[in-house]
This record gives sequence, structure tokens and C-alpha cells, in this order.
Amino acid sequence: MRDFFRRIRDSVFRVGWPEDERRALMAMRSSFLLHIHAAKVRPASLRATATWGLGLLSLFLFGSLVITGVYLMFYYVPHPDAAWRSMKDLAFVVPFGVVTRNLHRWGAHAMVALVLLHMGRVFLTGGYKAPREANWVAGVLLAILTLGLSFTGYLLPWDQLAYWAVTVGSKMVASVPGLGPPAALLLLGDHTVGEAALLRFYVLHCVVLPLAVAGLVAFHLYRVRKDGGLVTSEHAPAPAEGPRLLPAWPHLIYRELALLGGLVVALLLLSMVVDAPLEPQADPTRTPNPAKAPWYFLGIQELAHYSAFWGGVFIPAATIGVLLVLPYVDRHDQGLGRYWPKERRTANSVFLLIAAFFVTETVIGTFFRGPAWALMWWPG
Amino acid sequence: MNDEPALPRWLHVVVLGSFFLTAALVGVLLVQDAARPAQVEQRIVADLEVVDRCETCHDAADHPAPWLDDHPVERFGCTTCHGGQGLAVTKAAAHEAGPDWEHPLYDAAEREAACGSCHEAATVSGAPRLSHGRALLAERGCAGCHTIPGFDLPETAPQLDGLRDKVSAAWVRAWLTDPAPLNPVHKMPRFALTDAERDALVAFLFSLDGPALEPAPAAGDSDRGRLAVAQRRCTTCHRVDDRGGDVGPDLTLAGAKLHPAWLGSFLQDTHRLRPTTRMPGFKLSAEEAADIVAYAGEQWVPDADTPWATAADTVDPGLAAAGRALFVDRGCAGCHRAGDVPRTRAAMALDDLGRRHVSDLPQAGAAPTHDLPSWIATKVLVPAAFDVPGVAAAKMPAFTGLSADDAFDLGIALAALRKDGVPGDWKVAAPAATANVPAGEVGALVDRFRCLVCHQLGGRGGEVAGVALDGEGSRVRRDWLVGFLQAPVTIRMDQSARMPVMGISPAEATALAEWIGSSLADPAVEEGATLGDPAAGALAYAARGCATCHVVHGEGTMKGPTLDGAGARLDPDYVVALLAKGGAVVPGNRHPEGGLPEAEARDLAAWIESL
Repeated sequence: MRDFFRRIRDSVFRVGWPEDERRALMAMRSSFLLHIHAAKVRPASLRATATWGLGLLSLFLFGSLVITGVYLMFYYVPHPDAAWRSMKDLAFVVPFGVVTRNLHRWGAHAMVALVLLHMGRVFLTGGYKAPREANWVAGVLLAILTLGLSFTGYLLPWDQLAYWAVTVGSKMVASVPGLGPPAALLLLGDHTVGEAALLRFYVLHCVVLPLAVAGLVAFHLYRVRKDGGLVTSEHAPAPAEGPRLLPAWPHLIYRELALLGGLVVALLLLSMVVDAPLEPQADPTRTPNPAKAPWYFLGIQELAHYSAFWGGVFIPAATIGVLLVLPYVDRHDQGLGRYWPKERRTANSVFLLIAAFFVTETVIGTFFRGPAWALMWWPG
Repeated sequence: MNDEPALPRWLHVVVLGSFFLTAALVGVLLVQDAARPAQVEQRIVADLEVVDRCETCHDAADHPAPWLDDHPVERFGCTTCHGGQGLAVTKAAAHEAGPDWEHPLYDAAEREAACGSCHEAATVSGAPRLSHGRALLAERGCAGCHTIPGFDLPETAPQLDGLRDKVSAAWVRAWLTDPAPLNPVHKMPRFALTDAERDALVAFLFSLDGPALEPAPAAGDSDRGRLAVAQRRCTTCHRVDDRGGDVGPDLTLAGAKLHPAWLGSFLQDTHRLRPTTRMPGFKLSAEEAADIVAYAGEQWVPDADTPWATAADTVDPGLAAAGRALFVDRGCAGCHRAGDVPRTRAAMALDDLGRRHVSDLPQAGAAPTHDLPSWIATKVLVPAAFDVPGVAAAKMPAFTGLSADDAFDLGIALAALRKDGVPGDWKVAAPAATANVPAGEVGALVDRFRCLVCHQLGGRGGEVAGVALDGEGSRVRRDWLVGFLQAPVTIRMDQSARMPVMGISPAEATALAEWIGSSLADPAVEEGATLGDPAAGALAYAARGCATCHVVHGEGTMKGPTLDGAGARLDPDYVVALLAKGGAVVPGNRHPEGGLPEAEARDLAAWIESL
């Protein structure tokens, strides 16, 4: 019997259980799941502080969202008459409906946060510089796609929260001079959020955007390998003792498994304890005050409150524009692979200030804005 | 190979640990899922977009009778009447409100609001609080400011032209400050007004000319006045010292409130001064009016000094324009006619109030209310409870003289208002009510004597009198009616309301009796019954125990009308119908429903005829 399982296990690796370095290297090269990794990794790259596992966690979350999302699709009907009732069915009669929806909901929020943090980590360590410019751009696009996935998914429960958050979000799109109104019309298929918008959001959320993310992730990972793996510091001292390189099996793979295991346990625990919100069914005649966008857009909504054009359009567009051209403009190649190198203090200070600005605006928009968007004291 | 560092031990622990933890959590999920009902019983009411799973746990067969007879669960579902979350299959989610669901199960009172979303009649059987609330909606003139389906602009508030002839400015100021102490049966709410606003309103109202008053008569005699008040039975409608009816205003202080010249004129020619009043046109002689004015000036005055009776009576005519604007803004014109001010509603429509969610409505800081009727009750009793200092102040006045239960009943009646709440063919319309009064002389008399303020006719009219006019033509003899209308005697000792003595002339009484006799017949009474044997009737009277309620020859009790002299009053056909068939028993009459053999009924009718 034991032999039976061992044969299955070995067959997965193609070369048998990687019990020594030679087999480990062979496995890393020839096993489908493992060959994405380099066969050997620098010990510095294995430190938790090197990446905090942010990119990989984002990838795992994407995987879990696909799995839970497919399960939800079995029950969900993308029509205003039925959508909210599907949520109630998930809550009351579908086996594991509640926990699946919770996993999907909390996983989606976590993915948005982790993708943005991942981007911050790469910026601070200068990971966008040559030869990684194109991969940085792919990363920025992935971040935008992630926001798009989360935003389109936000509408699907068709409750008050969903309806009004998306109404606010699409109004923000429509407020862009020139391109905004036709873009909003294209997105909603109508002038208000309704049947057409729900179907479009559903198709975008379940088909278009996930395929785009999957394709771009493949490119992203490919380029990580081809661009030389993790950006490292040329100043990092070679380890005084021990090897300069370690085999990815088991050192890297086990760390990745630990990350996966920790994520699954944390997400499951969270989803078993905290239920995803579901407000009363969407009612276009009943506007909540204030109507708030999803949390990751609340910084922009807050800015738009100061000035519809400068805050709502110019600053977000300029931010994305700067992020996209950044690697082609900033061509210093000093101080890479470290969080706070002398050479990058100016760049990182500016970045952190901007990030802090957005975080502050988001916190204000989320917690300190009450009816009529008036400032109010904690708690909301 | 040997210089390769070993894999840290904690990594193994984390990987294996998370594997086993995941397995454990999935196990917990499996156990939790086992609690899910294996079979969901679901009922769908497509018309109402209701999907109820209540019967997963509850059995409709256990429902208390007789509600499901008229409202079968197959057609109505459960939440239509009971509220709660029909889709839920756990007790907490189905019964309670939470962040996910705003409507907990209705309690018995709130359920009546659900009744009201289909049943449109003023009185809905089985829903006393809804019915009471609807009565209060009419009584308190809510439709004066708010659009409420089924309610017209109220006509019960006094017309205000010529107010300066009637009362002093100081009295009006006191009334506008708080009507309650001045008239315990007041209907007008208490408006939040500043002194300056009251001055402006008084200035406007006192700028309106009214009808000319009658010439001042010689001084009357208060003793004769006291007698006149008693004989005319003013207290059927008016309260004096906490006794009397509440159709008209309290008269305890009327002598100090009303200018004598106005009161004298009003008693002489009531409807010329106040065409919309509910008071009958007594048309008293100048002398009788003067006597009552003298009596009022002597007896209906405050014991101690009241500020309004002694305050300086100053009016600043320059404020009239501001007062008129205020009159319109505060919605006074919704209830009162005054000069040429158009009658408009000043407040929001309430025709969809029942669909508002309490969470969307302003909340009173100290005591947040959770259900709509309670919120409305608070708004009615203390409108300022939802004010935001410096931002929003309620224009709505406070309705005093309502108990908390009254206010809640109002809330139920208003919470029942749901535009498009149920499809039209689910509505149960109010029974058509038309008081079929002919035009011409009879119509003018019915109007002048305000018969329908007290009597019901065709489903309309007041309920002060115990006798509806419908069918009265079959019940009493025409000759008797002619006499009764001129000098109404008390028939039913158990009723407190006495018909006022309005001075109906013989010709007027004859015209009214002709109309009642010929037009207001009871189809349940067959004409031309042959009478039986009076002696047998007398025996039957004793055998049936009629004396338990009736008096004959001075013996018996007065639970029912005395039968001495009933021969001249009652139509024998009616007596036969009442005793034998029962269909002739009018609402409010506590007589047993028929059931006697026809021969015995005829004997009794013959005997009563002889009394």
C-alpha cells in the first residue's frame, strides 16, 4: 500500500522523490510545476524580508478565487431579479455556500491589498529597473486588472452596498472629461447601473478579466525567471560560510508550501468567523447617505470630493501614467535589492510620501466621512 | 553536499501543521453543514414576489383559526402578513432583524399595518389598531398637510374669516401657544411658534373680515339661559366641566373666550357665520340667544385669572403680510379656510411611507426607534425629536392629546401606505359609501340640522347617535316621527347621547318624516303583516323574559327602550320582522336576532300595538 502511494508521488515529480541534490535539480528542471523556479536560489532571496511572499500570496489568492468563484458560479444568476436571491440561497440552502462566499470575498479584498503591497515592495527595492522594465509594466497592468476584478465582482451580490458602490464608481469614470461618458456607457451598457451592467460585470468578472490576469501572470512569472529572478543587491556580502546557492528543493519549495498553508488556514479561519456583508436588495430609489465606492477607491472618492477633475481624474491618471513610464525614465542602477539604500532615498521618500497620501485619503474616506460626505468622528 | 544547511525544523512544522489544521477546519465545516435542513419547504407567491421557507420549520396547519380561512397560505405565503425573512431557514435569520435584513417578524400590532396594505376600508375587522389609526388620521386632519390616499382636505376646522369678531387676540395667542388647556377635546396640534410669529399670524387673521353680526339684543336672563342650554341638550355635543360629548368644542370657558355679540349672532344664524360648522342651525330667537349669552358670561368663565382673559388685546396690522406667508408655510390652510388663501398641502406626501426604512429616516439621538410605526409615533408626538440643531427643524406641529398607543395606531395606519405595494387586484376596496339625500327642501333640512353629523346613512355620517337612518322608515310610524323630530324624547336610556332640540317646525318635521318614511325603508321588513292575538302576545312577553330589558306598565329594566307607548312608535311590520326573521336588527341594536315563530311574533306585535 505504502508502495502504491509512493509510486503516485514519484510519478508527479517524473524523477522520483527528490531525496538528494541531483534528483532535486532534475525535478526542478523537468517537473511542470517546479520548472518555473530556478533550480538553485540565492540564500538572500529565501529570507522572509526579501519579498515578504507578497507576489506569491497574490498568486495563491488568485488561484483560490478561481476555485471558489467557479463554485459560486454554479448557483449565481446574473440578473437583477435573481442575483440577490442567489446570495440568500448561498447563505441558507447551498452546502458550504456561506464559507465559499466568505472565502471569495475576503480573498478578493486581501488580493487587492497584497498586490498593491507587492508593487510597493518592488518599487522600494528598485525592482522595476532594467532589465525588468517590461515586467514592471506587466505588474502595473496586473494591479489594474486586480482592481477591475474586485470592482466588477463588487456589483454581483446586487445588494445596496454593491449597487451604490458601483454607481459611485461608474460616476467617477463618467466624470472624466471626454472619454469618461462613453467609457461609462460601454461599461454599464446603460446610463444607470441595471440589468445590462450586471450582465457585463458578470462576464468581465468571470471570463474576460480572469483570462487576462492568467495570461499576464504567465508572462509576469516567465519574465521573473528570464530577468534574473529576484532583484538582488550587488553590495550584499557573500555569505561568510555555506554555499553561494541553495537548491530550490526543498529550501524554496517548502517555504512556498508554508506560505500556502498559512494562507489557507488564515483565510479559512477568517471566513468561518466573519461573514461577508449582504445588505438589503439593491433599490435604485433608495440612496444611502453617504454612498461609498469600494474601499480601494475611497481615496480617489475623497480626492474627487475636493476637486472633481484634479482629485478624481488627474491625480489617479497621473499616478498610473507615472508608474507605467517610470522604469524608462528612472535609469539609475544603484542601490538595488535593498529597502532604504543611500542612492534611492529621494526616490523612495517620494514614493512613500505619495503612498502615505493615498492611504491617508483612503482612511479618511472610509472611516471619517458620514452623511453628505461630512467629516465625522470615529466610528463610522 | 555536507555544507548545505539543513531545512529549518519550523518549516516542516508549518507545512505539516497547516495541512492538518486545514483538514480540521474542513471537518468543522462538515459538522456545521450537517445542521442545514435536509429538505427546504418553499412557498412562492409570484404576485407579491414572496418566497417563504417558513414551512421548513413551521406547519401551516398549526396556524390559529380563522385567519387562514380567508388568507390561505397557498395564496398569501407567510411573510405577507408576518414579516421576517422568508428566504431564511435559521430561526435567528428568519425572525430577527440584522445588518443583512431590516424587517423582523411583526408583532401583533405591526401585523395590522400589513392588513392595511390590502384592506382599504376605514374599519377593518380583526385590525382594531389599524382602524383606530385610520379614524385618527381623519379626526386629526393629517390630510390637511399630507397627501394620504383615501383622505380629502379636512373640512372640520373652523373657518377663520371674522375671527376678530369672535375671540380676543390674546386668546388666539394662547391657543396658538398650546390649545390643550383651552379645549380638552381640541383637534388642532401645537405649533412651535415664536412670539413674533404668533403676533404675525394674529395680525393676518384679524385682518380678515367676516360676515356681519346680528344687531346686539337686549341683555338676556341667565336663568332662562341655563334652562335653554339644558333643554336644547347642548352637552350632547359640547363638554362643560368634563361632562358631555366631544363633537364640538369644550364650553367650560366659552363665556370668557367668545365675544357676546358673536355668540349671540352665531346662535341665531349659525350657518351664515360658519357655513362649514358641524353644529346644526338652531336659528334661536334673539331673546333665547341673549339668555344663553348671559348664562355663558356668568357661568362659563374661569374661576381664577387666566392670562388670555386679561392680557392686553393688541394687534399690529403691519404684520398681516408676514402672517399670511406664515399661515401658508405652516400649512394652516390645509385645514382652515381663511380669506382668499388657497387651500394647499404644505408637507410631503405619505402615500409611500410604508416602504420607507427606519434606517433611512432621521434618528432621534437618545432613543432610536426600530420599527416604522414607532418612528411615526415619535414624529407625531414630538416632531422636534428628529431636529438637527442649526440644520433642520421640523415644521410639523406636535399632536397633543394623543396617548402613546394612539400615536402608534396612527403609525400603523401610515405604515400601511405602500404605493405599488400589492397588485391592484389584491386590494380590498372600502365599501362604497353614499348618503343618498335628495336635493331640494329635504336636502336643505338634512344639511341645516346636520343630521349626518350624528346619524349614519348609507355608510356615511357620524356615530354619535345609536340609530342609523337607513331603514328607519320601516321601523317607526310616520306620525310618531313627525312628533319626535319636533320634540325628541329619549328612547334608549342606556345611551348617553341625546338628540338636541333644534326647533324643527311641524312643516319641516313632516317633510323629513315623509322622506324617511318613503325613501329609507328596510328591505328586510315585509309590509302588510297581519297582527295576531294581543292576549297571547302578553303571555309570550312574559314567557320570553322580555322584561329583562324592556319596561311595560312601568315594570322591567331600561336596558332596552321602554315599550309603554311603543304602539304609537313602532311599525308592527318591523316588530314582526325583528322578532321572527332577525334581518331587521340594525347595527348597535343589542336585540336578540329573531328566531321566534312567525305566529308568536305577530301576537307580540299585536300586543305592543296596544300599548
